[in-house]
Amino acid sequence: MGRYVLRRTAQAAVALLGVSIVVFALIHLVPGDPVRTALGTRFDQDLYDALIARSGLDQPLLVQYWNWLTGALTGDLGVSFRTGEPITAALLQRLPATALLAVASLLVGLLIALPAGIISAVRQGKPVDYAASGFSQIGVSVPDFWFGLLLILVFARTLGWLPPSGYTSPLEDPVEAIRRLILPAVTAGVVTGAILTRFVRSSVLEAMSAEHVRLARAKGMPDRYILRHHVLRNAWIPVVTVTGLQLATLLGGIVVVEVVFAWPGVGRYALDSVVRRDYPALQGAVLLIAAGFLLINLLVDLLYAKLDPRISVS
Amino acid sequence: MRWRSPLALLALLALIAAACDGGEAVDVDDPTGEDVTDETVDDDPDPDDDVEEDAATGGTLIAAIGGDPDQLDPHTTTSSFAFTVLENVYDTLVQPGDDLTPEPALAESWETSDDLLTWTFTLRDGVTFHDGSALTADDVVASFERIAEEGQNAFRLDAVDSFAAPDDTTVVMELNRPAPNLLDQVGAFKGMAIVSAAAIEDGTVGDEPNGTGPFSFVSFSPGDNVVLEANPDYWGEGPFLDGIEFQVIPDESVKVTNLETGEVDWIDSVPPQQIDQLEADPDIEMSQVAGNDYWYLSLNNAREPFDDVDVRRAIAFALNIDDITEAANFDAATPNETAIPETSFWFLDYAPYGHDPDQAQALLDDAGVSDLTIDLMVTNEFPETVTAAQVIASQLGEVGIEVDIRIEDFSTWLAEQGDGNFDAFALGWLGNIDPDDFYYAQHHSEGVNNFQGFADDEVDELLDAAREETDEDARKALYDQAATRIVDLASYIYFYNPDILEAWSPEVQGYETRPDVATRFATTSLG
Repeated sequence: MGRYVLRRTAQAAVALLGVSIVVFALIHLVPGDPVRTALGTRFDQDLYDALIARSGLDQPLLVQYWNWLTGALTGDLGVSFRTGEPITAALLQRLPATALLAVASLLVGLLIALPAGIISAVRQGKPVDYAASGFSQIGVSVPDFWFGLLLILVFARTLGWLPPSGYTSPLEDPVEAIRRLILPAVTAGVVTGAILTRFVRSSVLEAMSAEHVRLARAKGMPDRYILRHHVLRNAWIPVVTVTGLQLATLLGGIVVVEVVFAWPGVGRYALDSVVRRDYPALQGAVLLIAAGFLLINLLVDLLYAKLDPRISVS
Repeated sequence: MRWRSPLALLALLALIAAACDGGEAVDVDDPTGEDVTDETVDDDPDPDDDVEEDAATGGTLIAAIGGDPDQLDPHTTTSSFAFTVLENVYDTLVQPGDDLTPEPALAESWETSDDLLTWTFTLRDGVTFHDGSALTADDVVASFERIAEEGQNAFRLDAVDSFAAPDDTTVVMELNRPAPNLLDQVGAFKGMAIVSAAAIEDGTVGDEPNGTGPFSFVSFSPGDNVVLEANPDYWGEGPFLDGIEFQVIPDESVKVTNLETGEVDWIDSVPPQQIDQLEADPDIEMSQVAGNDYWYLSLNNAREPFDDVDVRRAIAFALNIDDITEAANFDAATPNETAIPETSFWFLDYAPYGHDPDQAQALLDDAGVSDLTIDLMVTNEFPETVTAAQVIASQLGEVGIEVDIRIEDFSTWLAEQGDGNFDAFALGWLGNIDPDDFYYAQHHSEGVNNFQGFADDEVDELLDAAREETDEDARKALYDQAATRIVDLASYIYFYNPDILEAWSPEVQGYETRPDVATRFATTSLG
């Protein structure tokens, strides 16, 4: 197991290196640069040249990348062109808000998807199945900014039950933190739930068609018992995989939801970095998001062995 | 049961996330910080809560701003959101008064030598920075030297050769040419803020804002909020508030909802399409003031056929700026065929084009231009340029000109503009006060922002002369001539001056929207 984790970590390092090269190349391929963007319309060639030289952007791209990489290896992601602040600190400052929203959204998604997926599988072809599929279709199709604005309109503006936007740290004021978390978590959670519902349903259906399930049924075991002990245990594995991927996606920051709800997360940081051509900040943010993705994938794989003793990680 | 493992994993992640929260920048122990949350929750239910001994004091103003103030260093930031905050933290030597003419701020008086090349400023007595240290002439000199070096606003000090501090309260500037607009240049906005010499030396200007303004800096949580508290030693009137919390709310309609629900007391802008809705709301004060910004279309003089003045004029005749204005801004802007708004002393009442497609067609025929397609570059950073472009495309279609609208993100837009890679672009200029701001960089053949490549000897001479003319009426006459020629030669085709739109709760007293968009809360109170 230790060796397995080690090998996966090495693979992850290679993947991260690849991601960083791709991001670096892509952002430099796009027209525009941070200095020109910062100067805006008050452009002055002499000043521009001086600032480019000062920020090291006049060096060859390979040298720039090498400098960034050697810094990143020691945990120093450099300094943001936009804010002048260290990027590592800026990302760590935003990570809690993103993590809180991601976990809450996933919980909302699971609260929807588990019952909806299981019931619609068990009652396949019945009205409740169609209702669940309908929900799933709508949930995937509805734009999240629109859904978010709708929730704000109903629950904040009209009913006045919840604040329309903003983030409060749970350490500062847990009650207020939850009040502010509900609407964005539901907005992102409904989409997640819609995606997961389909997977839960199809995994349960597949597990239900297995031979041992048919045998159990033939032996006259109660449906509930079969569902619990023979169907769901086998259905978990694909569901866990997709759930892990969903969590990783959510942790990458749900840009639109963060913008609508004024949520100070990693997604908005990455977006601002793209818009302002803040190269090191974007590279740092993407590196963090990719690392999160790889870590969650590793945890999911390790979880397989727990869920199904037949699978061995080594 | 085994199936609970994924949930256990989630719980673990939640714990990790919570543990990471230690780095939060907001100071929880700070009494002002506490007030902030209290104010947000109970806005109106118990009036007794809000009334203290003096009705005009107390309370924390919650102000919503539309974006992150990237950084809080006044000399290096270009973010308008940063200036909304910094307006209340820093002071300048002089500042624009209510009619935008310079009035004393940190300098209580100034005089000029007979040749107008030496300016001597006398500083106000007893001004202290927020850290308690006294303001001296050395701080002023160090600040200007830093501005000249840091670049962003160095152009405003072009006319100044040297700064000196002969004693603690005297600052002397030696100029290389007469500059009648020097006061506007050194005091137009907080990009020219006076910071402490010690902060410059320690390199802490951006991290620990230390100004002389009505409010001092408490905390900055990027993407979330900036907290300020009252400076009891402020040299001017006020402050009456206990503090201000600026909350970043990027989505415009969500920002409005926050005001409607009483979550915030003041918002920094209003989408023009929501003006009517807010004006009808008795619980909201909607403020609409004519501003000094202007929006325009520019044609690439370096490319055929736009090097032909007749073609540029034809396009000006073909456009209907009333329609463009209404589409882009509803009723929240004033169409204007010149740059400077009618509220200004420098306004020139000159509108030679109107909407005349026949004239446009005749000019195009004379120029021998047909089958013209224009690559018009606009940016989604300023959605009103996209709307304007759609109207422009349909209006030019009437005279047989096809318009390819190219929408770019602003970084790309700026790069393309710098490379001269466009037939035409639409944009605006913000934050101008002196006529030199409106014309020189944009229309002088040597102007640094003359991206359209406009060159006219007469305009150059007029702008050079106007720059140094000290008699105000003579100066206005020169600018009138220059502006007339700029409009006639269609260096820019001007559209409109937008209004400044802000809104606040009726509890907010003593605040006024200013045409230069300076957001000064010194004399504001919550009643």
